[in-house]
Amino acid sequence: MNVMQIFLVDDDEIFKTAAEILISANFPEFEIVHFENGLEVYNRLIEIEKTKGKLPVLMLLDINMPVMNGWELLEEIKGHKGRIKSNVQIYISTSSIAPQDMNLSKTYDFIEGYITKPLTNGDLQHIRNSLLR
Amino acid sequence: MPIVHSSQLGINSLPFPIALINSEFKFIETSAGFIKLFNLKHPHKQPLSLLDLISELPKSHLPKTELPIREGFKEVITSIKNSNKLKWLKLKFHLNFNIKNTYYVQFEDITKEKLINNLACDIEEVGRIGSWNLDLANSEFYWSDVTKEIHEVPSNFKPELEKALNFFLKGENREQIHKLVYRAINDGISYDEKFKIVTGRGNVKWIRAIGKAEQLDGKTVSLYGIIQDIDEGQRRALVYDNLNKKMRIGIKSAKVGVWDFDIVNDELFWDDTMYELYGHNRMCFTGDFEAWESTIYPEDRCKAMSQVQLAIDEKNKFDTEFRVIKEDNSIAFIRSVGEVFRDYSGKPIRIIGANMDISRIKNKDQRLRQLLNVTEKQNQRLFDFTNIVSHNLRSNASNISMLSGMLNLEVSAKEQKKFIEMIQTSSERLDETIAQLNEVVKVQGTSKYDMHQIPVKSTLIKTIESINALMLTSSVDLKIDITDCLRVYAVKSFLNSVFLNLLTNSIKYRKSSTKLKITVKAEVCENHTVISFADNGIGIDLKKNGAKLFGMYKTFHKNKDAKGIGLFITKNHMDAMHGKIEVDSSLGKGTTFYLYFSNNRDNS
Repeated sequence: MNVMQIFLVDDDEIFKTAAEILISANFPEFEIVHFENGLEVYNRLIEIEKTKGKLPVLMLLDINMPVMNGWELLEEIKGHKGRIKSNVQIYISTSSIAPQDMNLSKTYDFIEGYITKPLTNGDLQHIRNSLLR
Repeated sequence: MPIVHSSQLGINSLPFPIALINSEFKFIETSAGFIKLFNLKHPHKQPLSLLDLISELPKSHLPKTELPIREGFKEVITSIKNSNKLKWLKLKFHLNFNIKNTYYVQFEDITKEKLINNLACDIEEVGRIGSWNLDLANSEFYWSDVTKEIHEVPSNFKPELEKALNFFLKGENREQIHKLVYRAINDGISYDEKFKIVTGRGNVKWIRAIGKAEQLDGKTVSLYGIIQDIDEGQRRALVYDNLNKKMRIGIKSAKVGVWDFDIVNDELFWDDTMYELYGHNRMCFTGDFEAWESTIYPEDRCKAMSQVQLAIDEKNKFDTEFRVIKEDNSIAFIRSVGEVFRDYSGKPIRIIGANMDISRIKNKDQRLRQLLNVTEKQNQRLFDFTNIVSHNLRSNASNISMLSGMLNLEVSAKEQKKFIEMIQTSSERLDETIAQLNEVVKVQGTSKYDMHQIPVKSTLIKTIESINALMLTSSVDLKIDITDCLRVYAVKSFLNSVFLNLLTNSIKYRKSSTKLKITVKAEVCENHTVISFADNGIGIDLKKNGAKLFGMYKTFHKNKDAKGIGLFITKNHMDAMHGKIEVDSSLGKGTTFYLYFSNNRDNS
């Protein structure tokens, strides 16, 4: 499939429902794929790489999720040799405003940005602009 | 026999050393004594001139003119030239009136006297001892150089008795020296005492003054004595005395006990403070090493003994702490430091040390640690509190915000309805979060007055009744192994919460294949009571998740109902009741939670 994909990784279905509507409005040509936690999306990414498929252009990643949370996923991606780091634009999307979370995100140099919920049109416009560059 | 005055009388045979010289110092005649003195056996080895013999002999020493005999001589003290042995000679030059321009030279060997004199001078210098001599008949007062130095007066200072006595410090010192000097003069009694003088430069000095009387026919003809500068020593002694006094007061007020152990003879000396510190009677103390050993708290004995041995073997300094049991059976913490003294061969012969009671410090230390512990726990709770606020409140609030915004969009009625439902759900979750927050806050506000002896079994049964429906639908096989009368020291509502949480957890995480079995037991120990909740559910991977288990919002199962806060609140409750919670689990087998309740009312 050649359509461009956005991975939405979050355990909160209400957020995902609302976010999908917002994202579709700003990225009409993209397909949005939902994931419940870090492990689900990690397995999918590995599968894509193995089959030399098309990685998602964009990923919105929550921090607090069961089974494998956002940090744990980032650790896995960091240690992984492959295209994921370079080809996927990853944004942390979280309700946490704790400074230690913001600082921790800075230690992963392959992250594009840190968005605090609620997700707004402004945030998505900003993401779109940096994508186009 | 008439006395012959003959100019022809030769001096050759004279037994004392004398020579006749001319104005060029050349020898005309020499005596036998002269030859003996200078060891000149062979006549042709005789020196021609006096200058060959003597080291220093400036021409100016020769008397110049014809003076009466009494004044016609000059004295020279010089040494022999080119001699191996050091010989000091006194030369007296006499004008020879019989032959013009000739002189008699008298030689006197004063080597011994000179050496003694030199030595005496050295002694004076080094010992800072000056001598003095008062000739009462001639009123001649002599002060040696050192005496003048001690008094800090110039070397041309001419001493007089009254002047000398005025050096002594006005008051007691002066009165005393006056008394002693006059006693020496009148009664011939010598004195030897310490005085303070004021020197010529105005400095106050301590001296030792010794005076002796030389008597002739029962009358004192002269006084002689020495002055010794003892200032430095005296001042040091005073400083030492002062320090000593201060140290004693210091040691006494600091309640430091001093002990002295004679290793060789196994004799142990304790000062009074030691007896106070150890709370033992002097009468009952046998004064040996074993006696000390027996006062030490049994558990600490081994360590204390090895510390002593290590110090003796030079492996360590002796600085250790141990408890002692006083005579009234109370316990005190003692710190003991000591130093080992050895003989010339390095063998340890003595240990001297000090002991201090550090019980108060130890107690304070322990209390401080407890306080730190409590503070750390509270800090962690505050941190977790921030997390709740940050996450759950915000995520639900932000959802409501996003969804409300969408209500304004042009969407179908069906979609609008969906949005409203989601807003409702989010509001409920928000409400729930606030309720949980409330629980956490309530725990903070708990004081020891809320703690009572709560009956366990009845509380447990009430809790089960409140979730009766849930229990039935899950078909739980519950076994309670607790006596009816068992009570624990707790807060009633907390106990309720804890039981509720553990029960609902067991139900939530039961195996789908096996019927859930829960067993609740109780065990009473010395300091605490343990209540255990054991189930045969799906278990927890403790290796992976053990650390996060009681944290906030840490879930490890995909279970939608797992919000991750239940155990956090349960731990908070146990902590607030001064108890603790522990878990044991294996994946696939089941989980057991252990609740520890403290038995003591004062929770020390």
